[in-house]
Amino acid sequence: MMKRTVLAAAAAAMLAALPAKAADYKVGILLPFSGVYAGLGAHIENGFMLGLKDFGGELGNNTVSVVRDDTEADPGASLAKAKKMVLSDKVDVLTGIVSSAVLGALRDFVHGSKTPLVVSNAGNDDATGERCSPYITRVSFSNSSITRVMGPWMAKQGIKTAYLMAPDYAAGRQMMDAFRATFEAAGGKIVGEAYPPLQGTKDYGPYISQAKASGAQALMTFFAGGAAISFVKQYKEFGAAKDLPLYGAGFLTSAAYVHVQGEAADGIIASLHYVPTIDTPENKRFQDGYKAAYEGKLGSEFAVAGYDAAHLIVKAIAAAGGDKAKFKGELAKVSFNGPRGPLRIDPATHNVIQNMYIFRNEFADGKVTQKVLATIEGVQDPVNGCKI
Amino acid sequence: MLTDPSFWLVQSLNSLQLAMLLFLLSVGLTVIFGLMNFVNLAHGSLYALGALIGYSIAEASGSVWWAFALAPVAVAGVGAVLYITLIERLRSAGPLPQVLVTFGLIFVLMDAQRYLWGTDALGVTGNVPFSGTIHIGVEPYPAYRLFIIAVGFAVFGGLYLLLNRTRLGAEVRAGVDDAETAAALGVNVERTFFLVFLLGCALAGLAGAVAMPAFSAEAGMGVGILVPTLVVVVVGGLGSLSGAFVGSLVIGATLTFGTALFPDFAGIAMYAALIAVLLFRPHGLLPARG
Amino acid sequence: MTFRHLLAVALLAVLLVWHSQSEYYGFELLAEVAVFAILAMSLDLLAGYGGMVSLGHAALFGLGAYLYSWLGGPMVGLTAPLAMLGATLGTGAVALAVGAVAVRVEGIFFIMITLGFGQMGYEFFFQNKALGGDDGLYGIRRLDLSGVGIDLSDPGSFALAVILCAVVVYLLLAWVLATPFGAVLKGLHANPNRLRALGLRVHAYRAAAFAFAGAVAGFAGSISAQHTQFIAPHLLNWTTSGEVLIMVILGGLGTLVGPAVGAVVLVLLRHELSSVTDYWGAVMGGFLILVVLSRQNGLIGLTERLLRWRRG
Repeated sequence: MMKRTVLAAAAAAMLAALPAKAADYKVGILLPFSGVYAGLGAHIENGFMLGLKDFGGELGNNTVSVVRDDTEADPGASLAKAKKMVLSDKVDVLTGIVSSAVLGALRDFVHGSKTPLVVSNAGNDDATGERCSPYITRVSFSNSSITRVMGPWMAKQGIKTAYLMAPDYAAGRQMMDAFRATFEAAGGKIVGEAYPPLQGTKDYGPYISQAKASGAQALMTFFAGGAAISFVKQYKEFGAAKDLPLYGAGFLTSAAYVHVQGEAADGIIASLHYVPTIDTPENKRFQDGYKAAYEGKLGSEFAVAGYDAAHLIVKAIAAAGGDKAKFKGELAKVSFNGPRGPLRIDPATHNVIQNMYIFRNEFADGKVTQKVLATIEGVQDPVNGCKI
Repeated sequence: MLTDPSFWLVQSLNSLQLAMLLFLLSVGLTVIFGLMNFVNLAHGSLYALGALIGYSIAEASGSVWWAFALAPVAVAGVGAVLYITLIERLRSAGPLPQVLVTFGLIFVLMDAQRYLWGTDALGVTGNVPFSGTIHIGVEPYPAYRLFIIAVGFAVFGGLYLLLNRTRLGAEVRAGVDDAETAAALGVNVERTFFLVFLLGCALAGLAGAVAMPAFSAEAGMGVGILVPTLVVVVVGGLGSLSGAFVGSLVIGATLTFGTALFPDFAGIAMYAALIAVLLFRPHGLLPARG
Repeated sequence: MTFRHLLAVALLAVLLVWHSQSEYYGFELLAEVAVFAILAMSLDLLAGYGGMVSLGHAALFGLGAYLYSWLGGPMVGLTAPLAMLGATLGTGAVALAVGAVAVRVEGIFFIMITLGFGQMGYEFFFQNKALGGDDGLYGIRRLDLSGVGIDLSDPGSFALAVILCAVVVYLLLAWVLATPFGAVLKGLHANPNRLRALGLRVHAYRAAAFAFAGAVAGFAGSISAQHTQFIAPHLLNWTTSGEVLIMVILGGLGTLVGPAVGAVVLVLLRHELSSVTDYWGAVMGGFLILVVLSRQNGLIGLTERLLRWRRG
């Protein structure tokens, strides 16, 4: 009853403010629902659906309908599916995209067809740098923004030497390069680095042995998914925690699987745009809703990206009313407080501007929790050659 | 680094540990090939099944020992179903149809795993035996890795005795040498095939269960391990126990020392070794048949 | 005109009718189908007629795509037709070198050595930053035929042009198989020792076949790059090779038109199923198993069997 009153009031306010026109907005979700990234796809979709439910009330008279398709984690197939959604299904906005290769494949098409795309994972720096587009808005993160904040912070803790380790692909390299730049600028020194193959046996023993032998004061890493679980467990097995404390991009101990790492995650310090223990009403609402909707599971940073993508789209629709041409321009003007804190879109690159949290994982009573050590507010990427 | 003895010691152990994991996987594959002349491409999926079933058993029972004991049995059970419903029907159709059926099985088993265990990576949260470190000289080394090495050697020893000291072993050797003659001499070749296939599946399941605590369990994890396993089988020489053992050692060492010494070529080292072996010994290092 | 040529004509008719009924998405699928038909037919020459089952064929396809993009892009700057020619011949040359080595082994060993070479190629492009690494290469241009009044940036015209290419490749392969070279190739598969006894240089013939099939795969790659205008290393991965092999088997090994049918079925199945269910892999795998269990030579074998059964 209460909700209906609010809805009616919102609708009335909308009607007063805008030309009396409402529209149905069609959203096309493109995510990997099969293959190695299927887990991330599920998290993001869950978050997106929860976001539509939580914020749907702000739509006024407008309605949102959703079509979804599997990117098959294949750039060629993704492009065909995106074309189908835009040209046949006539979607007004695309969202999703986990892999940066898929984003690269779609970029020219969405740019050329002037279809708004709200990216909810793929972190390639170039996507909001040299290859940016006024039609591509990213609510997730850029690779370099995650690790860039760690350089000065670690240097301030008295760490002078670090060893780098990440899978050998673009995201791994970008994250490590960003850390190297700020760590060296703060007076630190990189004494060694290693880039294990992305796909392979996931046996990191040889690399961990190498890193230990380097005598570095810290091991800075980026791993995600199954590789992150394997890496953290093997790092613990090798008894490296004493001499070579582990730092990383926060995906290393993502809320999606930190409970599996358990005790092995204890003491790992990492940086990320979201930590499940953030104490705000927005985050509580998100986590409570997520637990209720998805078998008591913890909402991960991937789910948050989906949730905020839905929030962003809803807000842009609310601002544009039924005017679909205006809607395209509104996406980059949206700002709100999400589960991760304040979030806005950089008008120069259409990348997200958000807080970064440096946190320590603490294992107690069979559970891992995250203690935030520092919050770096309003982290914003340089323009990186983007012209919008 | 290169003059530091502990570097060589630790990396040799790492290499041995990986080799034993590869051995557990490849030995079943190679004996199935030697006997039945087809490559079971779904072997990696059975490894993943072993890890996932092992995870569920460990979580339910609170002990990974139950997982080590029961996961191989469960995977052998799956193998029995596959053999009776698919592989046996194609016995007379030649090797290519059998390979293709197992290729199709990769997709079916992967989706079945996703359906049953979900898409998130899983790992045991309870107590794992040998989870501490052991000091070898001055270097701490994971005890669990030494356990994996021990399991590999134990399986090699057990299989050696099975092949050389038992009636089944004699039948297998006869079947690998010449299936037709063996059948003519009264060996029940079909029964031998069936038992060997089950044994191969059980070993893949054991590899998955043993790997699970140190790595993680994930639907589809078998696809990544399949290619190194195939490489081991071919490098070692098809159909031979000692070939699988030697091939595992060679590929384990190539991967470990390749990554430690020539990090830029880590990705291609294994393939380069494969091509080199095939060029100089076209039938692998220790083939069962000349 | 043989039955299989008739089938090829029927398949072409189906594709053309489909084209006339299509909109954008249909054109995308048609172009993809035609590209994979070319690739699958070239693998059929190798595997079906020559008995050389390769798990590295997609690596040659991907190499062709990269060669086209490199030669036709800002790094070299050739015109599109020259880049296509360069991609085709360049891939053929690489295939000749690989083939000269690989044909020395047979059977399962041949499968594995081609897998090894293919994965090395995959790793090479995955690591190569200048060519985009794992993020791939973008901004690839299409052939410009505006001089003769054809706009290839139009999806419908492009799809039609690729179908035409597939027809040309079909005719070329059918012609090659009818030449003495084709006869030797088939003979090598059926009875290599006999031909060796006749004094034929078996390795040379097999390497030549490998190079020729590789050049056709490179040609398909140069078209694929123009179709998606974006390429990434996954094109070279062994799983792509496996999919092309499924197309060949699904359609019918050693039938030439069969693999083209397999390409149509597999591409459609994959895209349509993946829109309906997230478990499309299981359905596709199950379909492959059923076709193999039918003990016929793919869909073509099944059709021929049914026709024979009805006649007699």
